Amino acid sequence: MERKLEKNTFGKRLKSMLRVDTRRMFTSPLFYIMVGISLVVPILILVMTTMMDGKVSVDPQTGKETVMEGFKNVWQIFGSVSDTGGATGGANAEGAGMGMDMSITSMCNINMMYFAVAVLVCLFVAEDFRSGYAKNLFTVRAKKTDYVISKTAVCFIGGAAMILAFTLGALIGGKVAGLPYTMDGFNVYNFVCCVLCKTLLVSIFSSIFLVMSVVGKQRSWLSLLLSFGLGMFLFMTVSIASPLDAGVLHVILCGVGGGLFAVGLGAISNLVLKRTALV
Amino acid sequence: MNAVEIRNLTKNFGAKQALNGLNMTVPEGAIYGFIGENGSGKSTTEKIICGLLHQSGGEVRLFGKEQTDVDVRAKMGVLIEAPGCFAGLTVWNNLMLQAENLSLPKPQEKVRDVLKLVRMEGAAGNKYKNCSLGMKQRIGIAMALLGEPALLVLDEPINGLDADGLRIMREVLTDVAKRGCTVIVSSHILGELEKVATHYGIVRGGKMIREMTAEELENSCRSFVALQAKDMARANALLRAKYVRVEEDEKGYLRVYDQVSVESVVEYLYRYGVVVSEVGTDKIGLEEYYIDLMQGEK
Repeated sequence: MERKLEKNTFGKRLKSMLRVDTRRMFTSPLFYIMVGISLVVPILILVMTTMMDGKVSVDPQTGKETVMEGFKNVWQIFGSVSDTGGATGGANAEGAGMGMDMSITSMCNINMMYFAVAVLVCLFVAEDFRSGYAKNLFTVRAKKTDYVISKTAVCFIGGAAMILAFTLGALIGGKVAGLPYTMDGFNVYNFVCCVLCKTLLVSIFSSIFLVMSVVGKQRSWLSLLLSFGLGMFLFMTVSIASPLDAGVLHVILCGVGGGLFAVGLGAISNLVLKRTALV
Repeated sequence: MNAVEIRNLTKNFGAKQALNGLNMTVPEGAIYGFIGENGSGKSTTEKIICGLLHQSGGEVRLFGKEQTDVDVRAKMGVLIEAPGCFAGLTVWNNLMLQAENLSLPKPQEKVRDVLKLVRMEGAAGNKYKNCSLGMKQRIGIAMALLGEPALLVLDEPINGLDADGLRIMREVLTDVAKRGCTVIVSSHILGELEKVATHYGIVRGGKMIREMTAEELENSCRSFVALQAKDMARANALLRAKYVRVEEDEKGYLRVYDQVSVESVVEYLYRYGVVVSEVGTDKIGLEEYYIDLMQGEK
């Protein structure tokens, strides 16, 4: 029996793929758990560090005293202004040069959300391979490009939602902790640009995590390990690329950078899928 | 046209050679029973056909086109290992996702259609994780059938199924083939495979050692005379003394595989005072043919 083999255009394939991935992301408990965590974490950080602010702990071995330093204002959890030290207080030096500030206020900020994005991306992609969905998909779809584009886009949306949830959580957390909302050295416009930059930078991270996920396939532990390892290298640049006093130029640079990274890393993901076994 | 044509297929996993110049021809519309021992290369071949593994050498053509052809691949259905469903979603939602993935027009209608085909209409609302093994296998087939595939590749779809599940699976495969779909099905349950397959391919050590139609199998299967006698021990000794191949089957019948008539065997035993109580002729099935072939190869 002769069968007519219909043409399946790139646009048609990508559209259906995007529809499926978007639906999967928004019906997945994982997405809501991660967004929930992103919302709650800043509230907990701000409230707890404010409660501990000024408390002195003594090392029983050395007798050395350490004063716990909390956030001085709400914005500190988003980063610092480009000219370090002024606006957001000395404790927030996470973007100040290459020197590592290990204080709690510099470590527990919005940038750590990029690692949480790794969890979302790696588990989301690993589920494709674990369930056999990828097998079904790649049998009927010889081209891997649509999968990579769709996954990059949807993982970016998921990651962006987490960054925005963190922003909302931080604003609520500041109110609960009673922290001031005084903007020193930047304004609302700069803050919006800063959050936008951080959101756009998700595309770089989600693309990296996608590469690691297609390398690890159903082994989410491997994907996560690789993602955390590689993400660490870029982690330090986030604060430099998205300061609190960011302007439209920062947004453009982050957007272009994010786009270029997404394309480049997407090509790598595509190559990995083409060259490796899919089972 | 052949649905699948494979020539000199090789696949190496490091130093291990999984496929060693395998040739395979699956005519369009066939139910192709793909048989072989564990590790003989069945799953590897199926995965290569589906584009999930890359061959080290050789050529795979599907419906006369390159195996990587986008349009050909869009007309494939597969059930290899896991069915490709998400545990937390209902059967219906899993199928709807796949329907969307395939850009099917009227997806709800198609989903309803395949659920009916695999006798799962009543379980559409069940969560996939709560389904039994038999149901999961049928859902997997439903997923594979959604795009009205021209080629369906099923890897061990009847493993672990109960009698009812086997019957339903048999009916499903026959219905699918009636729709004009070519089916490649690998299984170790040869008795079941024999009931549906129209063609067979027997693979060993990464090579196709025999390909044949169901009719050719029928003709190749040796016929035998099976009998029971009052004195089975004496009958056994007498038959073994005269004929080349005599075996006792699991039901206690003595089988004479030599080219002899029933009458001559009965007369021979009667001559030596052994009374035959039951006698008849039969043919060996796929399972015995396969065992014979494997023993011959060894």
